[in-house]
Amino acid sequence: MTKELPAVLLEEEDEQFRVSPGGWLGRGVVWALLAWLVLAVPSNFLSPFEIGVTDINGFSHAAIFAIVGLSLNVLIGYTGQISFGHQAFVGLGAFVSAYVVTDLGWEFWLAVPIAAGFGAIQAGVLGLISLRLTGLYFAVVTLAYGMFAQESLFGIAAITGGEAGKAAPRPIGFESGYAYYYLCLAFVVLVLWLDWRLMKTKSGRAMQALRENPRVASSYGINVKAFTLLAFAVSGVFAGIAGSLLAHADEVIVPVEFNFQLALLFVLMTVVGGLRNRAGVVLGSVFFAFLGSGKLVEWFGLVGFVEGVIGLPKEFVALVIGPILLLLTLTAFPGGIGQQIAPVKMWLLGHRFDMHAGEVNEVEVTDVRA
Amino acid sequence: MSVLEISRLSIHFGGVKALQNVSLRAGEWEIVGIIGPNGAGKTTLFNCITGFYAPTKGKVRYRDRNITRMRVHERTALGIGRTFQNVGLVKNTTVLENLLTAQHLQIGYDPVAGIMGSPASFEEERRLTERAHQILGLMDLEEIAKVRVADLPYGMQKRAEIAAVLATDPDLMLLDEPGSGMGPEEAHELGDTLLKLREEFGLTIVLIDHHVPLVTRVSDYMYCLNFGEVLAEGTPDVVRAHPEVARAYLGEEPAEPDDDTRVQEAV
Repeated sequence: MTKELPAVLLEEEDEQFRVSPGGWLGRGVVWALLAWLVLAVPSNFLSPFEIGVTDINGFSHAAIFAIVGLSLNVLIGYTGQISFGHQAFVGLGAFVSAYVVTDLGWEFWLAVPIAAGFGAIQAGVLGLISLRLTGLYFAVVTLAYGMFAQESLFGIAAITGGEAGKAAPRPIGFESGYAYYYLCLAFVVLVLWLDWRLMKTKSGRAMQALRENPRVASSYGINVKAFTLLAFAVSGVFAGIAGSLLAHADEVIVPVEFNFQLALLFVLMTVVGGLRNRAGVVLGSVFFAFLGSGKLVEWFGLVGFVEGVIGLPKEFVALVIGPILLLLTLTAFPGGIGQQIAPVKMWLLGHRFDMHAGEVNEVEVTDVRA
Repeated sequence: MSVLEISRLSIHFGGVKALQNVSLRAGEWEIVGIIGPNGAGKTTLFNCITGFYAPTKGKVRYRDRNITRMRVHERTALGIGRTFQNVGLVKNTTVLENLLTAQHLQIGYDPVAGIMGSPASFEEERRLTERAHQILGLMDLEEIAKVRVADLPYGMQKRAEIAAVLATDPDLMLLDEPGSGMGPEEAHELGDTLLKLREEFGLTIVLIDHHVPLVTRVSDYMYCLNFGEVLAEGTPDVVRAHPEVARAYLGEEPAEPDDDTRVQEAV
């Protein structure tokens, strides 16, 4: 090829860049701090903060939200289908898990895979619909499904306990909120692993290809329908796991928890977190989990201002700030939180510190003329 | 036995007869060229061969097998690979990623095992990457392996696309204007590449291009389409000398200026 290479090639990753011992020390310290923040803060004996039994549940919720975010990321990020009914995915997992443990008397460890399986099945059914309807119309279907699930499906008293809700005891050994928090963390790690392998293997590549260009994907030999369904199923599995964890975190669940507000929060946290960016989605989900439960408002001592002066219940702050952040994400920072943290992330992974790391410039892909 | 045999193919979109009774065949190891003015139905023909369009009438046979109603990815599995008129690559990923994606059908592990992270999937991924690098080396694209497709100049995207099609392990390669956006020198180089690929991979190639000198140089047999019908066919010399062909190009079609000059030097 005689043609001059494009500019991107010239600034190619400098192979010679080696992290100095001091550099590794600095990175090690930051890694240790991060690990300490995640592992030690919620537990009383290591933490300088006083975190009570009710607060620890907030941290478990944050971990569970991270799983929900990763689940939604598979749909919105990898396949480009938006779901406004994800609270129903999570809710179904929660009720199935509670039913299995409370009514059937089976172990929690069995309830999780069963909830995941139900999640996959219902997501698969919605996936079948998505093969026919896309974009806005599909979003409306998921919205309707979410409403239906909350109002009717979760109201079947024989299975869900109706308005009174259903008990969902924690597994043996994890009765305390602190132990349960670590259990949730373990599941976050599991889901992160699955998601990472998904994207590094043929299914992830197939999903990316079919999101961007179904024609090219099928001419690469990818069965577009099958892999769309697989994406839904994976998303459903993640949501089912999250639902199961959520049920046993709260120990009793009621249908009204799974309202549209929650679905909206899920979509906001995933998109603001940064689509197709694992770290971003996790951080976004954690942020919105604390914002949505009103904890963040409490910590900043703004309860008086928000509830007294503005007259907004503290749980609703997320639905005011969320859309503003969404607007910022869509217009200015398409990579969301993931884009903001990319310089630090790359530095931590042993690259040179670069302020411009992670800048997203997705090209507009016009449909290939075939 | 012919690799590809199209018999009396017609496709109508409402009142528009995009293809009318088109018959075409390509034998083992042959390079078949298709020329014709814009809107003659060349790409439509490709879409019928690969399965994006279902023909109204007629048959598409591949190695004596009727594939007229088969789905696109199933045809890819049989060994039919194609390029697109305006670059059929996943543009937001790197060239290497595209080659990995294109090897989809040769991957040994099943999707679920991949998601679970089975040791076999790690091993297989290594093998795929190796093969992708081999193909890139062959196409002289090694240095752009890690570059995002959207950041590449058009001509290189076109070459990368051919590499991606090779990664699908095709037997019959359909190239839709591989020479578009290339100057005469590059087009000549492309011709050499095509001949080399046929040698090394044992390919049968069907080639659409406006670059008449390129098509006549590499083709064993040529077709000229106009208004959805075969206007002329035969060896390159026969088609080039055909009076109707010159008329179709120069008379009825307000062709782009550079197309004009190319045809004049060719005819």
